[in-house]
Amino acid sequence: MSTVLILAPVIISNWPAITAAVVGAASALGFVTKQAVEQEVRQTGGQEQKAEQEIEVELPESQVLSEQVATDQQIVVTKGAIQIIVKRDERGRCVICAKGKGLSKTELKQAAQQFTEKLTQCFIYDKVLKQLKQKNFQIVNEEVTENDDIRIHVRRWEE
Amino acid sequence: MEQHEMEITISKTGEIKVHIKGAKGKRCLQYAEWLKQVVGKIKDQKLTSEYYEPEVKSRINLDVDLKTDSDQQ
Repeated sequence: MSTVLILAPVIISNWPAITAAVVGAASALGFVTKQAVEQEVRQTGGQEQKAEQEIEVELPESQVLSEQVATDQQIVVTKGAIQIIVKRDERGRCVICAKGKGLSKTELKQAAQQFTEKLTQCFIYDKVLKQLKQKNFQIVNEEVTENDDIRIHVRRWEE
Repeated sequence: MEQHEMEITISKTGEIKVHIKGAKGKRCLQYAEWLKQVVGKIKDQKLTSEYYEPEVKSRINLDVDLKTDSDQQ
């Protein structure tokens, strides 16, 4: 036994790295990437429309490095009636917005929260793995537990 | 040669638990600092018995050799 650390994730990165994590999270949760830059198409006409609810969740401890992205750039993923939009707000924070017709705010908040957590997990996984390889660690074992935790066992020899 | 191991658990909420094994003393703290830079803030840290074990050092006793050389002259 040596040391046990508990760390809270901080997401400070450029837009491409965040986009990669968004795609990973979307894939894991069954979402489909709709488009890189949203082009909002409004449906009008005689069709009866259900009220569209919208909820926004800010990714805590996040910062999207501004040189890589315009403030209006966003990535959109969809699953059924739920649409998740990941974007950078004016303060540079990463914001997850969930909207959908015929869904309650509670349902949307839950979806946004779930997506935020998965996005954080994917981002940290990508970053940790990249850094471990740079430090010449070899992966001994890697698994996803029943609780959806990712477990990585790594090793290296040092003089 | 020392074998350094890490067991990293990334929870579904993104919280990270790391168990560093084999690294003693300062080396262990260096890993902790590196992880802090990579993933985020340290919420909790527990040092276990291995941390307090002395680091292995090799040393050549030059005094003995020098004395022996000067005695011979």
